[in-house]
Amino acid sequence: MNLRIAGMGWVTPLGRGVDAVWARLLRGDEATAQSISDSVSDRIYSAFRVPDEALKDLPPHPRLRRASAISRFAAAAGLDAITQAKSAIGQIEPERTALLFAVSNGGVVYTKRFYQGLVEAGAQSASPLLFPETVFNAPASHLAAILGITGVSYTLVGDGAVGVLAIKMAHDLLENQPLDFCLVVGAEEADWLLCDAYHKWRLLKKQPPIELFADPPRGMILSEGAGAALLSREGAVEIDAIDAGGNFSHRHEANEILRRIVQELAAEHACVIASANGTFVDLAEREAIKREQPKATVYSLKAALGESVGASGIWQMIAGAQALRSKRLPEIAHSNPNAGLNFPTSDEFSYRKAIVLSCGLNQQAAGARLSI
Amino acid sequence: MESNQNRGAVMAKMPTFNDLGGKTRYSRVAVVAAGVVSPLGSGLNETLDSLRANKDCVSPVTRFEIDKCRSKTAGQIPDDRLLDTGQNGNKSRRVHRATRMMMTALEELFQQDGSFKPELTVIGTTSGGMSFGEDYYRALHRHRGLRHSPAWIANYPPQKPVIDAQTAFGISAPCQIIANACASGTNAIGHAFECVRSGRYDRVLTGGYDAISELVFVGFDSLQASTPEKCRPFDCERSGMVLGEGAAVLALENLETARARNARILGEIIGYGISTDNHHLTQPDPSGSGPRRAMEQALQIANRAAEEVDYINAHGTATVFNDAAEGKAITELFNRVPVSSSKSMIGHSLGAAGAIEAVICLLALQAQLLPPNINFRSSDPGLNLNIVANESREAEIDVVLSNSFGFGGTNASILIQKLAA
Repeated sequence: MNLRIAGMGWVTPLGRGVDAVWARLLRGDEATAQSISDSVSDRIYSAFRVPDEALKDLPPHPRLRRASAISRFAAAAGLDAITQAKSAIGQIEPERTALLFAVSNGGVVYTKRFYQGLVEAGAQSASPLLFPETVFNAPASHLAAILGITGVSYTLVGDGAVGVLAIKMAHDLLENQPLDFCLVVGAEEADWLLCDAYHKWRLLKKQPPIELFADPPRGMILSEGAGAALLSREGAVEIDAIDAGGNFSHRHEANEILRRIVQELAAEHACVIASANGTFVDLAEREAIKREQPKATVYSLKAALGESVGASGIWQMIAGAQALRSKRLPEIAHSNPNAGLNFPTSDEFSYRKAIVLSCGLNQQAAGARLSI
Repeated sequence: MESNQNRGAVMAKMPTFNDLGGKTRYSRVAVVAAGVVSPLGSGLNETLDSLRANKDCVSPVTRFEIDKCRSKTAGQIPDDRLLDTGQNGNKSRRVHRATRMMMTALEELFQQDGSFKPELTVIGTTSGGMSFGEDYYRALHRHRGLRHSPAWIANYPPQKPVIDAQTAFGISAPCQIIANACASGTNAIGHAFECVRSGRYDRVLTGGYDAISELVFVGFDSLQASTPEKCRPFDCERSGMVLGEGAAVLALENLETARARNARILGEIIGYGISTDNHHLTQPDPSGSGPRRAMEQALQIANRAAEEVDYINAHGTATVFNDAAEGKAITELFNRVPVSSSKSMIGHSLGAAGAIEAVICLLALQAQLLPPNINFRSSDPGLNLNIVANESREAEIDVVLSNSFGFGGTNASILIQKLAA
């Protein structure tokens, strides 16, 4: 398989820019949670939000005038990935580029606002301006228009594993069609309604920190942002294996699927970029890693950046690529020292490969392996 | 990494992913089984009977309040036509209707070919379990009834009906859920087709589903895209769409392996085209260039001329703008080929539409039947189309084209041919 990352873009609660965010993570910075409330309830949650200044130099475009936050995050990350790739490999022809957009919850802010108007004021008051933005592929449509992509554009929906599944689909697309590039973007926006839903599902903590690999799990904090990777035949980091994993009906079945994924992707000199987020995912990943890749150093972004669901898989791919490029992994501030796993230290490492392990909260799991 | 000075040279010599050394050999893609549930009926036989009977399956909406909407009707499936989730080992009775639709369609598919084991599942949808999201929000709003909320939340995501339905039939293939608005179903079939055609997969399960929901119904009503009248695709007095719902699934397999195991072959998918026009989030480019590119690409992949197409199952929503753009593209590309829109009979089932219409195309090929475009009164003088007006009719057809276009400017076309026995 000859699939490489030619450029990346990253919009996170710790700011924007692959190198800038990575530097902050290596420094040990963690995003600051903000309170999030809604008129429908007096319950207050915490979420990691993208700071306004992260998008201040986003070029104006008519498509973004009324677009929701998720579209703006995606546009910024996508444009940054294209810019980085252009500086490395030259011209990117839009007509030879596919767009693959990974999302889980989608434009929840406008969807809620649209439905709230319907519930409170009746169908006759429903907004024709908001409705089109509630459609899952609205952010992809905006991004395609901004980039001039006129061919393949797919929006792929799933749980937290959707980003890695999108990488797999991108590989299929590049093999199936006369394309040179595939821009894979994962994005999500945070909203009180999502926090409440995950809370009712007993997966959410009210306040940080996210404690990784704690047993029993203590819950996650939602976040938002976008990640983008331009896939090509050229680029410093290779995606040398992808495992589309499978589906689990019950949480305990996630252990076996993850074990199979790690077994498939296991390699000497590989670190693991886990999707551990303070939920049942941590325990399933812990068991899989201990059994199939016990000596690997294990890192998860989510203590520092939160759970960005549809964006998280691409964030993990970026973290894996950055780890291999910088030969370092950030330390994890809040991890269980008794988990039986090797967590990063401040030392440089000699890993040549990074396994990205992605387990979603709603039945999907997948993995990929990066090398340099 | 190449220096900037070498960019041009790198780009010039860089081969595409799939034409290395010109050694590519494409596989032929058979449809070995299919299942469908729609307002036309449950299963291929009922669907064909309804097509022959020119049945209007649109009825007043009863599932939620529509007093304040312009449009009052939709193509709906009675709950008693859907597979009970208590069957096939699925213990939960709180699953979404969309799951039951998927299970109903899958049951028929596996009755036809119980040995079909997909390596990948690619399904299209637009709104997943949206009505559970509505239930949850309404309960929040009235501060009561939230005891069901964990089940609503768990069953709301679009992948859930697919995973649960295929799990009920013992299938564990990874799922790719495409949400490309109204083109989702055809996009899913098209991507699945490409996966088999490339030789990377031998068997892919594909299709689409969507269940009617208040948010989507009111949304289209707010855009004045839906009509208080009958749905009249391509009619000069067309006034908009009506919504629908349903699910359809197709089992795609490498033709060689299908023949090797003596599988029954319903048809062969021979082409797929996809384009994105960036004109507007909700309106097609009036030039019809997006649909035209998708149709041209499907023909090119199939290595077929436009004259070889015997029937077009159009997207045909009956909105003024869609039908004008699609009609223009068809008129420019084809010479009076028979055209109909199944949405005239069942409404627009969004993510399921392309999949249901693909099944209708397979039935048309099998029965040598042109499905009707009902409620048609008078031709649009701006469009030179050969509409299969109001009644199905017999015809010799070997190659059919199915179109789906959606919000976001996404356009998709697939080409299906009859296989000689």
